[in-house]
Amino acid sequence: MKTSTALASLTLTLLAAGLPVQAHHSFAAQYDAAKPITLTGKVTKVEWTNPHIYIYMDVPDEKTGSAVNWALEMGGPNALIRLGWTRNSLKPDDLITVEGSLAKDGSHLANAKSIVMTATGKKMLAGSSGGTGGTGGGAEER
Amino acid sequence: MPKPVRAIAWALVFSFGVCGPAGAQWWLNVPTSNVPRAAGGEPNLAAPAPRLADGRPDLNGVWEPIKTYSRDLAADLHPDTKSVPFQPWAKKLADERGDGAHSRDDPPARCLPQGVPRLAGAPGPWKLVQTPGLIVVIYESFTLWRQIFTDGRKLADEVNPTWLGYSTGKWDADTLVVETRGFNGKAWLDQVGKPSTEQLRVTERYRRKDYGHLDMEITIDDPGAYTQPWTVVEHFDLRPATDLLEFVCNENNRDLTHLQSATD
Repeated sequence: MKTSTALASLTLTLLAAGLPVQAHHSFAAQYDAAKPITLTGKVTKVEWTNPHIYIYMDVPDEKTGSAVNWALEMGGPNALIRLGWTRNSLKPDDLITVEGSLAKDGSHLANAKSIVMTATGKKMLAGSSGGTGGTGGGAEER
Repeated sequence: MPKPVRAIAWALVFSFGVCGPAGAQWWLNVPTSNVPRAAGGEPNLAAPAPRLADGRPDLNGVWEPIKTYSRDLAADLHPDTKSVPFQPWAKKLADERGDGAHSRDDPPARCLPQGVPRLAGAPGPWKLVQTPGLIVVIYESFTLWRQIFTDGRKLADEVNPTWLGYSTGKWDADTLVVETRGFNGKAWLDQVGKPSTEQLRVTERYRRKDYGHLDMEITIDDPGAYTQPWTVVEHFDLRPATDLLEFVCNENNRDLTHLQSATD
């Protein structure tokens, strides 16, 4: 996929710049870094908004098999743009695998650190305020 | 081609090659025209700090904190400050806030301003625009701005309290000294919750130590919360090839329902 290849190279370029991500709230007060989670499923909605981008995805429940809709918080648009994303990088029906940290309040919410596009295998950092996203996710308020 | 014409042609090629926009794009990655360059063409960020025509240091540029000082203002204390001199009530409050239990009440979590000096150390770049008599700082974080008047004006004793205060600046040799007061006392000085009051006065000392690096010494003088003034040091890197983007925090702030709060 043309877009994804371009995205991947842009990501590498911008990672080298080491721009910190934007976080306007405490990571530790909302997410538990000790509770990592990996979710695989289908994107249902993308909110490309400040102060955080949200991706919603349907993830099959292991026990019941029925879909559970999860919300994934990422960095803001500026942080993701500087990591090589565009507002069209993720679309409904895209299959993805997300690595992140669970919300402390027990809701179906996680803070995404990275996203792998199933179709291409490309991994993109999510500008997480609590991420360990190498040089691209260096500074954070947590 | 006659010589003068050839010279103009080369000048045009040079200026477009170095200064001009490299095709249609926005300004995420546009090399600044006048950056000193090393032999290989990369920006020489260790070159001497530039000066303006009036001889003053040129502080213009897009700057970014090297770490998120907004998390903990006391991350790098000045050698003269051994510890943060809290008054007992302020220490108690900072301890209560420090574990995140009151995070929902931190103004930036509600998209309210970070205050000064927290704003400069928040994630994201800021741009300093230096003109005769006035320095303007535009902060990408929350798309906020400050005016620092260097025209010698005096600030009235009685001003309407604000989040970012009222700033005046003067030069101490090559250091820009910015005094700010008139704060509303609502800001947390950092995310771990050091309080401020309306008595807060902030002194920022900006020094561009070379082309690509700016040091800032910041003194917090708030007799309402601290027993004596205390000073920290922050460092900023020049971003020579990018520019600011809009960041309107309150567009879709969903965090409040998930953040912890003492009122839960």
